[in-house]
Amino acid sequence: MKSTVVFALIAAVAILASSAPAAAHHSSAMFDKTKVITVEGVVKKWELTNPHSWLWVDVVDKNGKTVQWGFEAEGPSTLARAGIRPSDFKNGTKIKITGNPLKNGNPQAIWIDAVRESDGKKFDPRAGFAVK
Amino acid sequence: MRFERALLITALLALSLLLPACTAATQAPGGPGASVGPKRTREQNIELGRQHKTAADLFKALRDEAKGGQKLEWNRLPDWSGVYSRPLDRGFNFDIDQPKDVQTTAKLTPEYQAKLVKRLEDLKKDIEWDPISTCAPPGVPRWLTEPFLREFIVTPNQTWLINEMVNDIRRVYTDGRDHIPEEDRVPIPNGDTIGFWDGPRLIMHTNQLKAGIYQRGNPDYTDQVETVEIWQKTDDRTMGVDVWVYDPPALVEPWYVYHTYLKLSDPPRIQYWDCGENKNNSVFQNKEGTTEFRSLGYSEEKNTEKSK
Repeated sequence: MKSTVVFALIAAVAILASSAPAAAHHSSAMFDKTKVITVEGVVKKWELTNPHSWLWVDVVDKNGKTVQWGFEAEGPSTLARAGIRPSDFKNGTKIKITGNPLKNGNPQAIWIDAVRESDGKKFDPRAGFAVK
Repeated sequence: MRFERALLITALLALSLLLPACTAATQAPGGPGASVGPKRTREQNIELGRQHKTAADLFKALRDEAKGGQKLEWNRLPDWSGVYSRPLDRGFNFDIDQPKDVQTTAKLTPEYQAKLVKRLEDLKKDIEWDPISTCAPPGVPRWLTEPFLREFIVTPNQTWLINEMVNDIRRVYTDGRDHIPEEDRVPIPNGDTIGFWDGPRLIMHTNQLKAGIYQRGNPDYTDQVETVEIWQKTDDRTMGVDVWVYDPPALVEPWYVYHTYLKLSDPPRIQYWDCGENKNNSVFQNKEGTTEFRSLGYSEEKNTEKSK
């Protein structure tokens, strides 16, 4: 699959701002919670670390250039509570992922949700804070 | 025959009278039917705080009310097993009962009210810096608010209240010892906690704490802050905590809040937190006063890299 940027910078609804993840140790002030980006790409690296994990995705932009996007989520146990496991994102996994981007325009975002192309499985890191 | 029947009836009657007593004698604190202590409403708990000038006074009053409390034994420990977490359905504030249209339910001194107003005004402009951004522990009382996994380990002489975040453990000494002498106290994140058991309730007092914030968007506390807490399971799945916070420089009266932790049905294992293991989690406070990443990107060679 040729990875493409699907669309960028959609005006967000207020509810998205209020549902931003509770960051473990730092403020999310650097992210623009009024904007949402969605990209399609290939997983390049899955950093499962505390206090935050990072999913790195190679995305081919409209000019054919590969851009390395990073998506920040919570740590391993919170992700486990959301049903997100280390084995879910092997290198080369094709996904479509959505997030609130950095205000400075760099290609990093808070991870809101993702869909794996192979089986359509959805991944919502924020679900890990639900107590069940 | 008549005599045998009478003997049997007498024996059964005796047994029926003895059984409850035996059950009570072997039942662990917090088991079914255990004493739950005085039931007070939120308003009564607020008033209870007001009636005592210091946290130490309130703690002493609660200990007197419990007639000194009871000593735990290894074969009669309350069942606090399981992995718990704080539900976030009512938000992230220190007081989960805080109405949405108020800044805080704490009665703040003018200086600390002004600090809170400034913090909230900054937040509206997306200016925010959390003092634990560099991996410092949250510290008590903020410790109560964090949304991660928790375990509560009870032994006769100590209870450990564990939060997975930064491998944080509060040790509650229930062996009758007193606090560290005042002249030797140095502020530390989780302070020094002593306590006693009254039936199923763990009643504790914490001092020697370090200044911090109750949570993002919440007020500050000073290193004079002290807490009195009553921990008690309210059902098999729920841990409830009454909390009174005393902090004269910041609070004009004690701040009473109630915290709840729920047992997870299928929890993951708690893992060690090495907060600096990934350089992508390294942030700093920029000149505008808000939070910024140092640098972002992954290394091809190593899966993770220590923060510089």
